[in-house]
Amino acid sequence: MQNLIFVLFRRLRLPLITLIIVYAVSIIGFVLIPGIDDQGNPWKMSFFHAFYFVSFMGTTIGFGEIPYAFTDAQRFWALLTMYATVVAWLYGVGVLLSVFQDKAFLRSLKTHAFNRRIKNIREPFYIICGYGDTGSQLTHALASAGILSVVIDSNEDRINELEADDFLVPPISLCADVSLSEVLENAGVTHPWCLGIITLANDDTVNLTVAVIAELLNPDLRLISQAETPEAEANILSFGANEVINPFETFASRLALALKSPGLYCLYDWMTSPSGMKMREPPVPKAGKWIICGFGRFGRTLYDHLDDEGISLRVIEQDREIRDLPSGSIIGRPTEALALTRAGIEEASGIIAATNEDANNLSIIMTAEEINPSIFCIARENQSKNAHLFQSANLDMLMQRGTVISNTIFAFIKTPMLGDFLRIVSRFKNDKANELVSRIIGVVYDDTPELWEICINEKDAPALFEVVKKQQILVADILCGVAIAECDKSKHSIALALFLKRGKGNVLLPEKNRIIRENDRFLMCGTKEAHQQMLHVVNNINLLESVLSGEDLPAGWLFRKLRENKKAKKNLT
Amino acid sequence: MNSEKVIFAFFIVLALTLNFGFFLGGMDNAAHHNIYELFAAIVISLVSTILKVGDRTHLGAVFLATSLVADLQLIAAAVVWGFTAHVIGEALQGHALATVISLSGGALLANIISVVLLVAETMMVRR
Repeated sequence: MQNLIFVLFRRLRLPLITLIIVYAVSIIGFVLIPGIDDQGNPWKMSFFHAFYFVSFMGTTIGFGEIPYAFTDAQRFWALLTMYATVVAWLYGVGVLLSVFQDKAFLRSLKTHAFNRRIKNIREPFYIICGYGDTGSQLTHALASAGILSVVIDSNEDRINELEADDFLVPPISLCADVSLSEVLENAGVTHPWCLGIITLANDDTVNLTVAVIAELLNPDLRLISQAETPEAEANILSFGANEVINPFETFASRLALALKSPGLYCLYDWMTSPSGMKMREPPVPKAGKWIICGFGRFGRTLYDHLDDEGISLRVIEQDREIRDLPSGSIIGRPTEALALTRAGIEEASGIIAATNEDANNLSIIMTAEEINPSIFCIARENQSKNAHLFQSANLDMLMQRGTVISNTIFAFIKTPMLGDFLRIVSRFKNDKANELVSRIIGVVYDDTPELWEICINEKDAPALFEVVKKQQILVADILCGVAIAECDKSKHSIALALFLKRGKGNVLLPEKNRIIRENDRFLMCGTKEAHQQMLHVVNNINLLESVLSGEDLPAGWLFRKLRENKKAKKNLT
Repeated sequence: MNSEKVIFAFFIVLALTLNFGFFLGGMDNAAHHNIYELFAAIVISLVSTILKVGDRTHLGAVFLATSLVADLQLIAAAVVWGFTAHVIGEALQGHALATVISLSGGALLANIISVVLLVAETMMVRR
């Protein structure tokens, strides 16, 4: 802050000195020039009166000629000094305004304000580096969940966009280069309330730099990074306990999953999609021959994953210089029917438009659909400004880089246990996956399943924590919600316990008659209402006891005492 | 021949000399103290304060402090004079005169320190 004041004063030096000199000369003039009072006697202005007159003349207020009307000599001097003082003031004000409009000065002001705001944060927050497509989707998702985010991007236009956007919890933003450790430090990497840093820059080297800086400044901080090349991914994973998301890998592996095991694919899709949407049947692609148009990073990853599943593939690529082009690839323009026909589009079951030009991708799909109307279409959307076009193209699956990354990250943030759960589930066979899917449907019907964690400790579930210490509670007991208290005796579950973490051990799908212990962590699945009900039950001791005993127990001390006496009397007789 | 240094030193020394000139004389004789000199001392003191702002060194900070002290005292002296002459309405004498002189004396001390610092700085940079 002192820097800013010094800069301001340095610039104002000349204007201020000018002002003082002009004032001094004017005052002296008025003191020396004789005036005449109302009686006609000569009268000399004192310094006090001169200062008063020059003050209101210079600031253009102009009360009048005090205390007596001026002589012509005085008026002559007043004429000269009038212009001089007003111009001196305007010059000073002009320099002041230009200092405040100076870009460098403004940037220092903004940075200073930003640093102060970060220091004063007293709630958990995430740092997001990079505000492109992915960044903005993630920020919106976090804001609607009520979590504060700190956003940094080096592009001024994007930050302006953020400031114009509407958020439930307005994020704190700064336009700065994220690969400088000073910027990250000011953004709160070492802040006690920082929950994690998420780096989503388009350039993998920037992501790597951020990861290194974060690891050095605060090794315990959770880091989630985006990476587009396997080298960068391996690099960032090699130090610290970071999580890296490669959007092409994620999408390609999901697609392979969809072809191999639709049940698992359903699970993945539900668990990482944003909550609040109606559950939809995810489209199931058919096995058979698939055509991949474009052999860039996306095309390459798709080829690797689908080839591992044994799907028969044909690649169409325009550039014949690309390395590692698989044998049998067609060199040609995939937007034209000729190349598509040579690749065998009439018998293909699916086509993937994976080039990095949106117009080409759309053209490929349209051409393909003309030749083979029942083909399964997947296209890659590169820029979010074309989202509307892709919606109207009636695709079966759409790969939006931003959405894939943002949804995955948000799911991992909201429920950290999800990562472990999905890792275990990924080894399921298809029938086991289908069974799990049907169990989940049995609990949520057609809403999107909501996932939440519950930890049996004093902070998160005080009532349950207390009761668990005294008596034996089974998993089934807390799964039924408050229906009991409303005299509905049928104990049907409203939620499903997916995963239990007890110390170092994990239990998948804990059975209904498992005993709950202190400090257990559960991953639950159910509807939004189920979530709310469960929160009520584990926090409110009265409600909990009603649910457990099946009857409505009194809450106040008096009636409790009376009831105890009645019970004691009954036990005696 | 650095013109900036010449101007800087000029204003500081001028502030001191004008201040001293005003202060010199009997404490009970208003004729010994010229109001124009007080006016000039105030103006030059303000100008030299502005010249001293913006120096981030420790020496610069002390310079600025002495200048501000001198400004404060001289302006206080002017205010007392103006108050006596206009609000109370009597000529400057006795108690009020003594107050004005003592305030300007205080400012004089601050200016002396300022000049001593200037000399010290010049000695440090022997060129």
